[in-house]
Amino acid sequence: MAYYVNRNIKMTWWEKIYLPEIIKGMIITSRHFFSNLFGFIPFFLGTQKERKIMTVYYPEEQVQYPIAYRGRPVLAQNEDGHPACVACGLCEIACPAYCIHIEPGENSGKQNQYERWPDVFNIDYAICIFCGNCEEACPEEAIFMSDDCEISMLDRKKMLYTKEQLLTPVADLQKRIEFTRNMYAKWNY
Amino acid sequence: MWVDLAITLVKILFIIGVTVGFFAPILTWVERKQSAIMQDRIGANRADILGFTAIGLFHCIADALKMFTKEDFIPEGANKILHTLSPIIAVVPAILTFAVVPFGGQYTIFDNEVNLVISDLDVGLLFVFAIASLATYGYVIAGWSSNNNWSLLGSMRTASQMISYEVTMGLTIVGVLMVYGSMKLTTIGAIQEDFFKWGLFLQPLGFFMFLAASIAENKRIPFDNPEAESEIVAGYFTEYSGLKFGMFFMSEFIEMVTIGAIMTILFFGAWHIPFLTTTTLLGWFDFLGTTGSNILVMLIQVGVFFSKVVFFIWLQMTIRWTLPRFRYDQIMKLGWKILLPLSLVNILVTGIVILVLN
Repeated sequence: MAYYVNRNIKMTWWEKIYLPEIIKGMIITSRHFFSNLFGFIPFFLGTQKERKIMTVYYPEEQVQYPIAYRGRPVLAQNEDGHPACVACGLCEIACPAYCIHIEPGENSGKQNQYERWPDVFNIDYAICIFCGNCEEACPEEAIFMSDDCEISMLDRKKMLYTKEQLLTPVADLQKRIEFTRNMYAKWNY
Repeated sequence: MWVDLAITLVKILFIIGVTVGFFAPILTWVERKQSAIMQDRIGANRADILGFTAIGLFHCIADALKMFTKEDFIPEGANKILHTLSPIIAVVPAILTFAVVPFGGQYTIFDNEVNLVISDLDVGLLFVFAIASLATYGYVIAGWSSNNNWSLLGSMRTASQMISYEVTMGLTIVGVLMVYGSMKLTTIGAIQEDFFKWGLFLQPLGFFMFLAASIAENKRIPFDNPEAESEIVAGYFTEYSGLKFGMFFMSEFIEMVTIGAIMTILFFGAWHIPFLTTTTLLGWFDFLGTTGSNILVMLIQVGVFFSKVVFFIWLQMTIRWTLPRFRYDQIMKLGWKILLPLSLVNILVTGIVILVLN
């Protein structure tokens, strides 16, 4: 029934007894068991903040994602509350999944600080593939990938975010802005 | 007579409460949590009552509720009577073996001799093995009546494995019997009052062989071919759900406790603390009077016994989560070509040593 594969395993006499090797393995697992068991006790008593175990109680505890992490794309909002976006539509073109919809608004004669802005700026996260092409295409540093990935919902229609929901103050995005500057400067755009 | 009956009833209730009511549900939690901690994980902690998780202890309750409310499914073409009967046949022997397992010595309480064993049979050890091997029928019938290829394969493997390792187990016990000269579990326990007469020192080879054989009897990893998940789904209980599945599950955990108890009695000094005889303990608590000191010593020794059982359960869990699974031919090879000759050699050596010493 069975055929034997010659694995060329040369076992010493000590290993062939099998029992000492089992005990060796059990010492390793028991060491982990006891060190973790007694590592838990000060954690539960509250005298120690850090566990030795790497596992994270996810909804209660969260880890800081690396700055290169691509979460949901958001719009940068200037200090005066106006979007940095000029509604050029480059991100709309760059988007491979066609999840961005922009309707531009324009300054009508009376000159002020802003000439163009998006009247409607929708991103449908149900379609978005988080590729980061929009961020790369943007000439105005207006759209950025945030570190937020918790966008699962029970209703698909709610996943279409409008401009008001997307706007995030520039101050919150500062790290990502610096990262993208370094990143894209490397490629000499 | 009424007093004896009452004492026996209390003992029965105690044993049922400890095995079925305490160990069986707690061990499901221990299994998860210990495996998690050994592998540097956290383990089950999501079942909560009003936001209070109690390090995952409520998973036992959640498990029981799940098993009670699940659909009781009998597959098409299955033998309904046998399909229903087999989990009962599997679980009853596991509980029944505790009838002869002593969990303490003999004490005098209010002028009554209390012997902490439900039924002190002269052939207690044989009774344990006779009843424990009855459980095989449950597994074989379960596989046969399910009308499922995987179940049948699993039950065939169970039958062959149980028979192979029962031989080793029986022959290992012969060494123990030769050393202690009695089949009465209470007598074997009483002899081990002397620390140097523990079975571990008198029968070191027998101890390891009995441990291996009893884990094989319980069908846990590394001997879990009858229910190998990656090969034959779940073996003989593939087609079981709800409370019937729960009974198979429970019988496995109760068998773990049984193995722990038998190991403790045969090899690990039963209810005795090393270097502390019962007389010494009674002498210490003499100021409480006869009844008071006896009750206190009884509680201490029952506690010692069950802590030893817990140690053996821990050992079995550690083995289960440390070692990989044997292949089927390796199990048979280990059983027939290594353990069986070794147990025969063990008997021979024990006999020679006894002959020389006398």
